[in-house]
Amino acid sequence: MTSDHIPSLRNPSSIRTRLAHRFVRALKKLSMDRPSSPVSVSDRYKRYRMIRAAAYASMASSVGPRRAWARALLRKIRNRKTGNISMKRRGVRTCLVTKRTLLKPRDHREMGSQQENSLRGLVPGGEEMDFCRLLNETGHYIKCLRAQVKVMKNIIDLYSN
Amino acid sequence: MNDGAGGAYNFSEIWPGFHANAASYALAMNPPEMDHISNRGPVNYNNSKKRRDEDECAKGGASTSNSDNDNLIEGDGKRLKAEGISNGDRESKAQREDVRNSGKVTDKSAAKAAEPPKQDYIHVRARRGQATDSHSLAERARREKISERMKILQDLVPGCNKVIGKALVLDEIINYIQSLQRQVEFLSMKLEAVNSREGIYGSYPSKDFSQHTFETPGMPFDSQGAREYGRDSSPEWLHMQIGGSLERPS
Repeated sequence: MTSDHIPSLRNPSSIRTRLAHRFVRALKKLSMDRPSSPVSVSDRYKRYRMIRAAAYASMASSVGPRRAWARALLRKIRNRKTGNISMKRRGVRTCLVTKRTLLKPRDHREMGSQQENSLRGLVPGGEEMDFCRLLNETGHYIKCLRAQVKVMKNIIDLYSN
Repeated sequence: MNDGAGGAYNFSEIWPGFHANAASYALAMNPPEMDHISNRGPVNYNNSKKRRDEDECAKGGASTSNSDNDNLIEGDGKRLKAEGISNGDRESKAQREDVRNSGKVTDKSAAKAAEPPKQDYIHVRARRGQATDSHSLAERARREKISERMKILQDLVPGCNKVIGKALVLDEIINYIQSLQRQVEFLSMKLEAVNSREGIYGSYPSKDFSQHTFETPGMPFDSQGAREYGRDSSPEWLHMQIGGSLERPS
């Protein structure tokens, strides 16, 4: 009940609706190009990965580019997509990978405690932030993850009974 | 130093905080260093004279103020600026001081105020010393910010309020994020299962479908955020309360 007094905590509810709309739209899109009967395990795994990516992407895009973690997450998903495409074209892939590792600054990672480093690993884009910013982004990320979990639970609950 | 503080009795009228500051500088400085400074008094004075001339040039000689005082104020002002107080404050102080000194100032009082150069020098040195001090000030501000954010995070993560210590709190936060991410994975797996079983996505719910599901009374959640989300009542079909959907076999 204490969260009612802080107006910033009531904000995620609007983010949550935006997120839900995006997620539902993404799921619809996924179901458009879905094969009629997915049987094989690898196919199902692939679809699970796609749904998960859709969940994260909708979360990040509903937050918008103002947050560093959302930007990083979208970039990561996009990179993964292009990586998947270029896995078929080997030469391009190696080029992309080296570029990505070069772009990632790891200055903060060397100093700082073990917990800090693992937190950096968990929050998208956390490698590049200073600790203050990291904590800020972590708070927002937690809120959004919670909203995401709620939305997904709601959708599943709708269809499981 | 005592002399300096004694000579400053008229400055304390100008700026009440002067005495305290002088005392704090005296405390902050080592005795040998202080001796060193007082030996170098004359050189100092010349310096300040030069600076006074510059000051008066800058002012256009509009006022016949006692520039030693002015100088002192200026030093203080710079120090104030270093601490983050606005420059306008200093300006107003200098003006007030001009008004006060616009009357005839005797040579005696000027001689009496010959001490302030030392003060000024001390201020300069203190300012130099304060460069490191401002670093530590900034560091302290940063630490405060971090602890404040940690507190916010502690409120956000359930069961984290009782934990004491930065490392343990961070551990809790990490565990919570990991659990949330795992939940997202699990739920997307489940969504996939639901999808492959039923093929639901062709028919997404309309608002009237949501209306009757919205009526179902919700079960109380244990986490703070869930409670919060359960309480807002916008007529969206997603906002209905759910409970224990994870445990239920699909």
